[in-house]
Amino acid sequence: MKIVQEALAGTLESSDLFVRVSPIDGPLEVIVQSEVEHQFGDQIRKVIGEVLEKLGVTSGATLIVEDKGALDCVIQARVEAAIMRAAGSPKVEWEALS
Amino acid sequence: MSDGLDFYTVEPAADPEARREIVAFLAACDLDFEEQIEAMVLCRENDQLVACAGLDKGIIKDVAISPALRGTSLSLRLVSEIIYLAHSRQYKTLFVYTEPHNADFFVGCGFYPLVEVPGQTTLMENSPVGMKSYCQELAKKRVEGDIIGCVVANANPFTRGHLYLIEQAAKASDWLHLFIVSEDASLFSYEDRLALARQNVGHIPNLTLHEGSKYMVSRATFPAYFFKDKGMVGKCRTAVDLLLFRRYIAPALGITHRFVGTEPFCDTTRKYNEDMKHWLQDPLRKAEPVHVVEMERTRLDDIAISASEVRRLLNQNHMERIQSLVPPATYDLIVSKYVAKVQQQA
Repeated sequence: MKIVQEALAGTLESSDLFVRVSPIDGPLEVIVQSEVEHQFGDQIRKVIGEVLEKLGVTSGATLIVEDKGALDCVIQARVEAAIMRAAGSPKVEWEALS
Repeated sequence: MSDGLDFYTVEPAADPEARREIVAFLAACDLDFEEQIEAMVLCRENDQLVACAGLDKGIIKDVAISPALRGTSLSLRLVSEIIYLAHSRQYKTLFVYTEPHNADFFVGCGFYPLVEVPGQTTLMENSPVGMKSYCQELAKKRVEGDIIGCVVANANPFTRGHLYLIEQAAKASDWLHLFIVSEDASLFSYEDRLALARQNVGHIPNLTLHEGSKYMVSRATFPAYFFKDKGMVGKCRTAVDLLLFRRYIAPALGITHRFVGTEPFCDTTRKYNEDMKHWLQDPLRKAEPVHVVEMERTRLDDIAISASEVRRLLNQNHMERIQSLVPPATYDLIVSKYVAKVQQQA
């Protein structure tokens, strides 16, 4: 999936996650700031990485993630939503995502 | 919502009743309503205004929460809402000014401090990479030398005064970086100002012309510059712009000297020059000093040449006088485009 526009998903509220995706010329850059960085930083990055891989986002994007202690399923959902908004693709294959 | 809080957006300029209410609410929180705010997120509880956050282009302003609700999750929802509002209006990078002791709150909302003026204000940006990637781009144009000069000009429009300053600065430097302020706030468009600068400095061999950015003399770094009629500029407002220059832009390009013309007419610019000597030169823990070189302006018939004088003459249609103050390229552009524009406005 190609990132063509700025997009947001999520909120800054507790147990949620706020994602901002921007198109750039260059490699993929993922920046994570988390309130639970020490315990779960690696796990959060792993989940984000899996979503990006599944959606085929390998370059041309910056993701800035503010985590407020979200569960893995929330992280997954928020990142997916942000990427799809940023890709501007009206055709979403929901079954492939589940 | 189940918590009884309603969020919605208003445009205060178009809604006098909401505006009155906001002004009163802000006053109760010791804040002034800023007239440039284009849209605001309001939060009501049982019809009562309990929180607000405003947007002036890409700058978040007038964030207030009623005392009883401070420290609750309301603040995070409020900031989320204002970020979505900014996004819907196509503002990508967001800035916020806050008192340094409130900076931590915005850190928790995904903002990163750019500069702090101790005891006064902190400017924050909603990206940890915005300034960094800007500086990386700048660094590609770095030229090594003992004296690396810099001129930052609005050039509204480009006069013989600018030409003289830039030529002198280039002579005094091994290399000169010229920035044209990109914010459009007055008569001449950025596109035209940049094109004129390009035409007028083409003959200077040791010069790089840069586009301006939101990190220098922009609405975000120096709001008061664009509202000169408001009178004196607060010291902390020039400090933010100058500290950003000293801490990020000058090191990226290796700038050692910044050249300015003396300012006989405009109080804001004169104050900016004075503040420049303080904020760029005084010892500072986090940044090397940048020497400020103030050059006497060129004069014609004993009157200093300035862009504001050219604009004044244009309003009065004194074309001959203008011709003597500006280079031919500027004069041609004024004749072909701006005479008609000024007459339309009149």
